[in-house]
Amino acid sequence: MTLKTHRVSWSIGRRLLVDGVTLEIPKGGIIGLIGPNGSGKSSLLRLLAGLRTPTEGSVTLDNDPINRLPRRTVARRIAMVEQHASTEADLSILETVRLGRTPHRTVLSPWTSRDDHVVEQALLHVGLSESRHQRWHTLSGGERQRVQIARALAQEPTELLLDEPTNHLDIQHQLELLSLIRQLPLTCVLAIHDLNLAAMFCDTLAVLHRGQCITSGRPQDVLSADLIHSVYGVRAEVSTSAHHGKPHIQYLI
Amino acid sequence: MIQPLSDDRGRPWRLLLAVLSLVSLGMSILLAASLGEMRIPFEITLKAILNGLGWGDYALNPIQQGIVWEYRLSRALVAASCGAGLALCGAILQALLRNALAEPYVLGISAGASTGAVVVMLLGIGAGALSLSLGAFLGAVLAFVLVLLLAAKLNSGPTRILLAGVAGSQLFNALTAYIVSTSANAEQARSVMFWLLGSLGGVRWPDVILAVGAVGIGLVACLFFARTLDAFSFGEETAASLGVPVTAVRLTLFALTALITATMVSLVGAVGFVGLVIPHAARFLVGPSHTRLLPASILLGANFLVLADIVSRTLVPHQVLPIGVVTALVGAPAFALILYRTRTAP
Repeated sequence: MTLKTHRVSWSIGRRLLVDGVTLEIPKGGIIGLIGPNGSGKSSLLRLLAGLRTPTEGSVTLDNDPINRLPRRTVARRIAMVEQHASTEADLSILETVRLGRTPHRTVLSPWTSRDDHVVEQALLHVGLSESRHQRWHTLSGGERQRVQIARALAQEPTELLLDEPTNHLDIQHQLELLSLIRQLPLTCVLAIHDLNLAAMFCDTLAVLHRGQCITSGRPQDVLSADLIHSVYGVRAEVSTSAHHGKPHIQYLI
Repeated sequence: MIQPLSDDRGRPWRLLLAVLSLVSLGMSILLAASLGEMRIPFEITLKAILNGLGWGDYALNPIQQGIVWEYRLSRALVAASCGAGLALCGAILQALLRNALAEPYVLGISAGASTGAVVVMLLGIGAGALSLSLGAFLGAVLAFVLVLLLAAKLNSGPTRILLAGVAGSQLFNALTAYIVSTSANAEQARSVMFWLLGSLGGVRWPDVILAVGAVGIGLVACLFFARTLDAFSFGEETAASLGVPVTAVRLTLFALTALITATMVSLVGAVGFVGLVIPHAARFLVGPSHTRLLPASILLGANFLVLADIVSRTLVPHQVLPIGVVTALVGAPAFALILYRTRTAP
């Protein structure tokens, strides 16, 4: 276990967004951060990526406080996919994925065959090898997310953080994208809203509520009618799916 | 839209374009040294330049020699440097602020320079010790610092910095207008306006050294920061997650663009439109990658301003137009054309 938070808190002004979260990111597999809007999922992801400095506590990567490490060092270990990446620049898929090599290159180092190889593998992983010359602004939402994931993979990270990657995608593309993430050979931390999808695809779930991590564990141990009621204020019935053996949630109104 | 030049396979074409624009820059400078009130044949112009460089020993009319070497060549070189510098700053700011409308004057720099110049010119502050240029330079730097303070924190978003720039510009423009309307007579007001629109009159060799030096620093920096700027394509958060120390890079590049712009404005006044249009034209030619875009902007900007200077001196007989008028007259339609050609499907 390499990425950890130790009683980490973060606030903007007087608003406390993350409140004393202690979490260990287990190596390999997918950990899902669930919780209502404003429960601190995105903020926690940014703290884990070292993009924010905690107001209290610390985030450590191999026992080093992440905010003391050079940004470039962090970027070679941890990659982040935003909820809505957008650009005005007229970039192709290939040019976007190549940006992922940024932390591995210095000012004067030329583009190497190793860079090419890594970019190639990243494109293959997300199935965009054929359409590499397509322009960013012609891509659909699902394709854009895949391009961003390929860009993140080109950083050769050991941890990939994704902020609601399936937001605004139709169900087919949500399933496609999550299956793709599932097959990646690295540790993924993802903020996700849909509890059924979270149960299906995540190995571990951490439940955030008002900035605090109130429980974590395997989906079947975490997701219960009581928890959903106390966190979301919604009545639900949790059963075990006959298809995949994971918890299945029906909402009762 | 298909852009063969920005493509991987476009490399030979880009090299050709670079060579062509260097050749055309040389030709434009030669043309600028030859054309004017007194038309001097190319052959004599060339000889005069060789004489000046100490590479030739041709017997020439000393008046012609003086006009070419002391007056026109220095002027053309300052024009080239200004065009290059302003275009480079525009390209950098458009990337940093992720805004197509960003340009070197957006951070209040030209407004501050105008105020500084007017303070020296009309109020006589500095009593001759401060030259007009130094006054403009100090005004520009002061405005820039104020705008950054107004933006409160450097890690506030691009929109806040732009808004602070707009507010700063308005403030300094109001100050300039106040000083002009309370202290200037009609003749002074006219000369202030002329200066504000940009004028290459009166530049000499020491100015060339300053201008070329500023662009030289810019060139080195652009090689250094080109890839970093690419990482800003998807915003600051993505840049940071790609390993870019965003705050430090922003501060460095803002300071660099401010110094280059302040130098240029203090030499020739606020020549508009170059910093805005040229980066867009360059992007249209070579695509968004900054390792190509920044050199292309430099070359295109240099070419453009030398030619604009020629037009400003020859368009109306016996009169020199402010160069800002020419850049805007040519720049605005060119900009419209680029906008039209690069429009994307909604």
